[in-house]
Amino acid sequence: MTGSLKKMKTETALIAVCAADLVAFAALKVSPGFFAGIIGILALVMTGYLPVKLQAKLGSLAVLTLVFTLGFASKASGDIFFIGLIGILVVLIRTDRAPVWTKVLIGAAILLASIPFAGFKDTFLFELAIQIGIFAAMAMGLNVVVGMAGLLDMGYTAFFAIGAYTWGIFGSPQAHSFMAGHFPLNGNLMFLFMGLAVLATALTGIIIGLPALRLRGDYLAIVTLGLGEVIRVLANNMDHPVNITNGPQGITPVSRPDIGWFRSALSAIGVPLDARTDYQLFFYFLVLLVIGIVIVVNINLGKSKFGRAWVAIREDEIAARSMGIPMIKTKLYAFATGAAFSGAMGVIFAAQRTFVSPETFTMLQSTTILGMVVLGGMGSIEGAILGAASLTILNIDLLKGFSEYLNELKQGGTVIFGYHLSSLPSQLDPAKYERLVFGLVIIFMMIFRPTGLLPERRRKAEEAEDDDDIPEITETGKGGQS
Amino acid sequence: MSGYAVEVKNLTKRFGGLIAVNEVSMSVKPGEIFSVIGPNGAGKTTFFNLLTGINKPDSGNLLLDGRDVVGLAPEQVAARGVGRTFQNIRLFGAMTVLENVLVGRYVHIRTPYPSALARTPGCRREEKKAAERSLELLDYMGIASRAGELARNLSYGEQRRLEIARALALDPRLLLLDEPAAGMNPQETEELKKLIRALRTDMDLTVVLIEHDMSMVMSISDRIVVLQFGSVIAEGLPAEIRANTKVIEAYLGSGAAAGGGAASSDPATTESRAAAGNGATGEHHA
Amino acid sequence: MLDSLLSLLPQILFEGLLLGFVYAMIALGYTMVYGVLELINFAHSEIFMIGAVAGVEIFRSLSNIIHNGYLLLLVAIVVGGLVSGLVAIAMERFAYRPLRRRGTTNRLVPLITAVGVSFVLQDLVRLIEALWHNEFFLRMASVSDLEGSVTVLGIFIQYKSIVVIVVSLAMLAGLNLLVNKTRLGTAIRTVAQDMDTARLMGINPDRVVSSTFFIGGSLGGVAGVLFALQYTTISPYSGFLPGIKAFTAAVLGGIGNIPGAMVGGLVLGELETLAGTYLPTLTNGTIGTEYKDIIAFLVLILLLLFRPQGLLGQIVKEKV
Repeated sequence: MTGSLKKMKTETALIAVCAADLVAFAALKVSPGFFAGIIGILALVMTGYLPVKLQAKLGSLAVLTLVFTLGFASKASGDIFFIGLIGILVVLIRTDRAPVWTKVLIGAAILLASIPFAGFKDTFLFELAIQIGIFAAMAMGLNVVVGMAGLLDMGYTAFFAIGAYTWGIFGSPQAHSFMAGHFPLNGNLMFLFMGLAVLATALTGIIIGLPALRLRGDYLAIVTLGLGEVIRVLANNMDHPVNITNGPQGITPVSRPDIGWFRSALSAIGVPLDARTDYQLFFYFLVLLVIGIVIVVNINLGKSKFGRAWVAIREDEIAARSMGIPMIKTKLYAFATGAAFSGAMGVIFAAQRTFVSPETFTMLQSTTILGMVVLGGMGSIEGAILGAASLTILNIDLLKGFSEYLNELKQGGTVIFGYHLSSLPSQLDPAKYERLVFGLVIIFMMIFRPTGLLPERRRKAEEAEDDDDIPEITETGKGGQS
Repeated sequence: MSGYAVEVKNLTKRFGGLIAVNEVSMSVKPGEIFSVIGPNGAGKTTFFNLLTGINKPDSGNLLLDGRDVVGLAPEQVAARGVGRTFQNIRLFGAMTVLENVLVGRYVHIRTPYPSALARTPGCRREEKKAAERSLELLDYMGIASRAGELARNLSYGEQRRLEIARALALDPRLLLLDEPAAGMNPQETEELKKLIRALRTDMDLTVVLIEHDMSMVMSISDRIVVLQFGSVIAEGLPAEIRANTKVIEAYLGSGAAAGGGAASSDPATTESRAAAGNGATGEHHA
Repeated sequence: MLDSLLSLLPQILFEGLLLGFVYAMIALGYTMVYGVLELINFAHSEIFMIGAVAGVEIFRSLSNIIHNGYLLLLVAIVVGGLVSGLVAIAMERFAYRPLRRRGTTNRLVPLITAVGVSFVLQDLVRLIEALWHNEFFLRMASVSDLEGSVTVLGIFIQYKSIVVIVVSLAMLAGLNLLVNKTRLGTAIRTVAQDMDTARLMGINPDRVVSSTFFIGGSLGGVAGVLFALQYTTISPYSGFLPGIKAFTAAVLGGIGNIPGAMVGGLVLGELETLAGTYLPTLTNGTIGTEYKDIIAFLVLILLLLFRPQGLLGQIVKEKV
């Protein structure tokens, strides 16, 4: 491509992006709500994909942040603006050349101002943000196991459950039923229990991993699947003869940390909290903090000898071992680390919900987290975050929203092509078909884009190569070496 | 202490009914460049896999620096100072050139897991040391300029060099090279020869290599052992091997030995032609 | 105490045998696909479930037309086997084959795909049932001439249980003949050995893989019909547990090994039934019957620790 042509293209792109931003702003004035949100997201997509200059791109992102944030001020449902904000974060992360301070500035504006603002307007969005956060942290934990080390863990929720029950039992009156002492424990001990859960789950991971990791990867998949089932059976049935888990009814209420200091600190900076939002905001910030730690740990590991050892084993086990990498120990580190992340998040989950029950910890849950990792891109940290955000929004917002919409249509007696929607079977509830959606997402990603939406730097190259090779390797079956 | 770098006694390995390595005995002195040659399928690579713990021998003894290594896992053998390369290059293609060498430094980086999680100053120091040493090795192999490149994007010759650099990162006392000159042109082979000689003196190494390029084997080796159908059929100085009728027969089939000395340089051409032929068909299937 | 435990034994062994045959037939599907593609086909549990659902639907819609229970069952078995086999072929064609075509080296990719397929199948069945009957927990219609029973040597035996055993035995024998005595069987064994060599010998691996999926799938489907007949309640999600247990059975016998899958299935069926009955009695109810579902998992862990190659198999390791 010649220079001038390229320049012209950049200029056109710049005009297009500016125009889109302006239209989004105007739409906000004219019809604040879903319509403006869609326009904003279109503008965001253009900003992300068109070849505009760096400054223009960052400027556009800043403008759109404002657009989406103002969108919450209107009476309309804020879901679409929320999705827009997440989108901005993703584009921001992927803009490699941007100076760090601009990233921090826009990122902080969204995470510390816009989203809390949205949460105050609509507490459901707080709930959504916290759920995304918990899942993002778990997806990043699973990413260490599946993405970096290439081990398939299908019972990841088991560790989440162990963490949740660890605090659920002792942070509620439940522990009375099998031991003496003063229960529930003080809510502030939750932080201590996060540490205990990390130890407990890492240990469980080692015990379960040891027999399976000596063998081929497939065995780990099935063993972890079994573990997930065992934990569920135990949680359901350990209410007799001694009542430890309270069986299918679950445990409630689970204590939360004391947040008096948090309330006074925020009112000191002019943000008074009420009983409806105080804990939501607290857990939102706590989850952000934990995600921050998880990201740092992930990056640290990736740059350490252990991270390299995982990738080496994933790429070529024989060569890795011939370089002195102890196979079982290395895999165990990955497996236990992932388990520990999940366990810590379980504790937060129990406290935030104040409720623990076996129903939360299903195979569906494990597969959802796996789907997040796959969708975002195995091994990619930002991919895990994007995957968690997309599937969580899809699951607890879009599918449910669609269900409600369909119900309204049914009750309104809507007729499509002569078919009365009211005669649709009551069992046909879109919100109940998350398996179908997740399953399709997984299959399509694996077939058409196995490296995910935001591929890991290492795999990006792999994918490019795959594309070139397609005609040559179509005939290859399994392991063709002499 | 036997005083040998490698000492093999009656080593045997069967795969099902096939005897891949049959009662092989040999010993390599410290500092030697020792070659293992033989026709395709003679059991050379299996022999390397036995040395490095990838396969377990059915019987026999295997001593490295006088210590028994039978039953050790590959990583344990590597930790005892055995570096190796592979016949069909096995780099970690998704990692950079530098990272590949850093993988080889694994046993020398003394970072406990918790300090890797937090990336403590100690961890950083270890990483820095390792990176310096790795760059040194890349420099030694003449590919330092490619350090940030993904390994799979290197040219074939560079990949061969990188594989040696990775093996050297272990700070091995014994280096096993599996057909290092395969696919190289005469000039590259010449450079490789120089490199191997230099390695021996610079890094105080014992080198055992499997090679098909006879001119290289003959000029570089201190001693040579010849395998056929898993058994040793000859052992000795290059000159002795060149004159050995059994060896010539093994390479050219019986009857050719009558031709005598004239065939001496022929094994090389036959072999490389055979290898090239194999390569071509191999690609064809793929 | 001991007397009462012993007097139950023949009955329990018989029940275990029934369960074991069902496990064995499902396990064969896992083991055959594994033998050919080295893939744990997680979605096989759904193939089994689809067979069961098909069986229930046949009973439901035809019991007014076909009054002979055995004939009805025959129809159900044929249809169940066929539907499951065809779904298995479609699954291979549209989900797994594109991956093989691309020559993916990452072993996780097909495995994760299988999980996705499994989920899609569960909800597709649920969707169909929801649209059709507006319910998705199904009960097998009972047909009187299958419900009769006899007592032999103190063992209470329902007629339908005899059918389960007879059909299972016939299917297993048929499979053995197919794999060992026919051209297709030879082709399957060749592809399992080495796909590239098989191609050189003029075997079309894709067709063999399809056939393998069909055979394994229809065995699973028939197992589903028999399962529904014996245990009567079925939902789109009832494939999961029998599936994971049957996989354990396949590992128990040595994965990739056909006689091993049969032996593994029977052993696991007996173990589970014995544990399910005796554990509550022996522990005075402390450990309830619910824990029998954990038995398979414990067996799997112990097996991986002490005999990973299974009872009849060889150790599967990465190729060097």
